[in-house]
Amino acid sequence: MDKNDTLDAKGLMCPMPIVKLAKKMKDMKVGEVLELIADDVGSKEDVPAWCKRTGNQLVGQKEEGAVFYFYIKKVQ
Amino acid sequence: MRAFPNEVIHMAETKKFAMVVSEGSFDKAMMAMMMANTAASMGIETHVFYTFFGLKLLKKGAKPKMPGMMRLFTGMMIKKMKGIGIDGYQEQMDMAKELGVKIYACNTSMSMMGIKQEDLIDGITVLGAAAFLDIGTDSDMQLFIG
Repeated sequence: MDKNDTLDAKGLMCPMPIVKLAKKMKDMKVGEVLELIADDVGSKEDVPAWCKRTGNQLVGQKEEGAVFYFYIKKVQ
Repeated sequence: MRAFPNEVIHMAETKKFAMVVSEGSFDKAMMAMMMANTAASMGIETHVFYTFFGLKLLKKGAKPKMPGMMRLFTGMMIKKMKGIGIDGYQEQMDMAKELGVKIYACNTSMSMMGIKQEDLIDGITVLGAAAFLDIGTDSDMQLFIG
């Protein structure tokens, strides 16, 4: 999946991936896609919830073993 | 790979979250800060009111300990949390400030415990219960940590 930047949050537990994601998205431009990599199982539910709440778009999601990849497009 | 190209995005309206912290132990302090920082990261307007024993968490250089006999294990808890990427208490407070979490101190508790505004960290608003309840009343979510 096309991406403009990557945020590696492996080794971080809830709520740090979300806090770091929020900070990172502030620096992105509208329309850009961020790849977030996390290994916290909670992020599977947390990241979609964050996207829904903030109005950003989760354009893709995959799992490779115990690692989760999220593709988030900045909407606003 | 799951892709959601046509997902309809609803612009989220700003929600408001009010939390009261009435205990000053390490676990309560951290729980409150992690919850507040997550809420603020989700774009939720977050207000935290520290009262009774919670108030000492707002003193300059506060180093909260686990409650009772567990206080001996505070260092171990801090180390364990660091190991999974969770910052210490002071770092959490700094993060809250950076994220725009609004923090309030209860004026009655301040008099009760002989704590003055200059004993508190910067950026704290001193309020009474009525003023905080006014904020809480038009919040979408209220939590009590005690």
